[in-house]
Amino acid sequence: MASFLKFIAVRFAAAFATMLLVSFIVFTLMELVPGNCAERYIAYKTTQGQLITEADIRAEEVRMGLDRPYIERWVKWVSSAIFRFDLGESCLWRVDVTQLIGDKLGISLGLSFAALMLTYVIAIPVGILSASMRDGVLDSSLRVASYLGLALPNFLLALGIMLVSTVFFGDTLTGLFSDEYRDVPWSMAKLGDMLSHAWLPILILGWSATAIQLQTVRALMSDEQGKLYVTAAKARGITGMRLLMCYPARHALGPVINSIGFDLNRIFNDLPIVAAVLALTDAGALLLEALAKSNDQQLAGAIILAMTATIVALNFLTDILLAFIDPRVRKGFF
Amino acid sequence: MTLLRVQDLQIKFSTPEGEITAVDHVSFEVNPGEVLGLVGESGSGKSVTARALMQLNASNTTYGENSKLLLETPGESVDILALKSERQRRKVRGDLVSMIFQEPMASFAPALTIGSQMCEQLKLHRGLRRPEAKDLSIQLLSRVGISDAARRFDQYAFELSGGMRQRAMIAMALSTKPSLLIADEPTTALDVTIQAQVIDLMKEIARDFGMGIIFITHDLGVIAQTADRVAVMYLGKIVESGPVREVLHNPAHPYTRGLINALPKLEDLEAQLTPVPGDIPSPLERPAGCVFHTRCPQFSKGTCEHAIPPQHLVGNEHFSACHLHEEALASTLASAEHNQGVPA
Repeated sequence: MASFLKFIAVRFAAAFATMLLVSFIVFTLMELVPGNCAERYIAYKTTQGQLITEADIRAEEVRMGLDRPYIERWVKWVSSAIFRFDLGESCLWRVDVTQLIGDKLGISLGLSFAALMLTYVIAIPVGILSASMRDGVLDSSLRVASYLGLALPNFLLALGIMLVSTVFFGDTLTGLFSDEYRDVPWSMAKLGDMLSHAWLPILILGWSATAIQLQTVRALMSDEQGKLYVTAAKARGITGMRLLMCYPARHALGPVINSIGFDLNRIFNDLPIVAAVLALTDAGALLLEALAKSNDQQLAGAIILAMTATIVALNFLTDILLAFIDPRVRKGFF
Repeated sequence: MTLLRVQDLQIKFSTPEGEITAVDHVSFEVNPGEVLGLVGESGSGKSVTARALMQLNASNTTYGENSKLLLETPGESVDILALKSERQRRKVRGDLVSMIFQEPMASFAPALTIGSQMCEQLKLHRGLRRPEAKDLSIQLLSRVGISDAARRFDQYAFELSGGMRQRAMIAMALSTKPSLLIADEPTTALDVTIQAQVIDLMKEIARDFGMGIIFITHDLGVIAQTADRVAVMYLGKIVESGPVREVLHNPAHPYTRGLINALPKLEDLEAQLTPVPGDIPSPLERPAGCVFHTRCPQFSKGTCEHAIPPQHLVGNEHFSACHLHEEALASTLASAEHNQGVPA
């Protein structure tokens, strides 16, 4: 037990250190974007017909603390993010970034985790089944299907489904909300409406992750099934589901759990593209907007940081889960 | 009474390259309390034979029509090849027959405790409940010489030393008091000092439990230590068999002689090692006639590559399958041997 707690503490420290490093990289990247937040805001004001001088820009920089050294500003950014959950103001809109991201990030995370769940709910049982009937009809057809999943990019799949739906059902399937719910506050009805739209982005986000994971589970299972301990268990009279689940499946689970973090990463990568194709109004779309259109460093940085934090947190949790199911990890054998 | 009767065992595997004969017309017997050593190089079919006794060979395996594997215990007799379902096969898997494998580390599931794997078998075959199974398991772990058995019960295989793992494996194999124990190279992966301990333990336990043991190895030294009788296998055939001392002191088959000559001798360190020449042929190209003729130093053209040699009685319960023992041939070869000074 003591070693388990120590394991958790060490992993937590490692996750924290990773987050600090990531925040530094994100902060640096945002700094590298030409121009700063003050200039951006002033430039925006000019378009509103106000006359702006060099002195105005300098004054704004001082007000925002942009004249302070780089490291000092990073420390301030990180510490207020940690202690006050405050990621600064949007360069353009002059409102709290957290407020701007708010439920959009929630929607994105919801879609991503639903896609992740879908991936594992399909990939684990089907992969196990496929491996235990190796080279049968089911196995072969599943492999063809999953190669198709690997070969077909998400956005193409999205476009394909939308095309079919538009031509045959007269519904473009875009967006997350019906018109009447788009700008009203959250309610059960709005949630229900969202869920009825959410299946498509979830399906598309989970698509290639499922295909890859299916192959992984199958390969891991085939590996484990050939191991001596499975033969030894069989030689002790263990049969059927117990032989399958307690032996190869139980031991193939570790690497599968290990890959959850990668899958979330993959899904996050697809998020902006899927958001663009399906006209979603989530954090993916906001990130695209902040990066590509309005050059809003603060907003983009905050979204990227929030997403990375999710991945790091998930990896931390999967590490603990892994230690929980595998005594070799828990007892520091690996 | 005979415990195990293997009659005319023939095992074939169908592979994409064609049908492979792994074991060809093998017959032998094991008596209760007796240790039978199966010796041979890798590919000789000894492990395949052992696995057939528990129906553990893969699904591409076919058995010969006349093959019979009969297990007779005081309580019941089992026709092993007639067990068709996995459930029926439990009878010879961990109940009447147990198996110990070469690598004790790999034969325990890494993420399950030693104890849970032991209890699982006891629950399955003896219907014991967890507390009873635990008591018995701890008792057995102590019996095989594992100190602090109660703590070891809750440990994992990777937390034990190599010798201790193999002891735990033996304890697990014995837990259901099987009538037949199959040990597939149980000491090969162990240090020599540990090897001797494990061998002593197995002999002692065979005596105590009155079970028959099939001890598979490629190491003639280990066989000399453990077995009462020995059967030497080459390319799926038993080429020589008999009481262990008789066979090792007076080997009759050229292959057995080759194996004995290939052993390093501690008393004469200057002596050259004399390996058996050539390689074991691919099972896809089994030689016709005597399977050993391609490597045999006493190969006799015209006979060996055509006719399959029958088993000849060459001593007290000592059999050898070689044309050499057919009288006419034997006398000519014996004189040739005498002239060349080849040690017999």
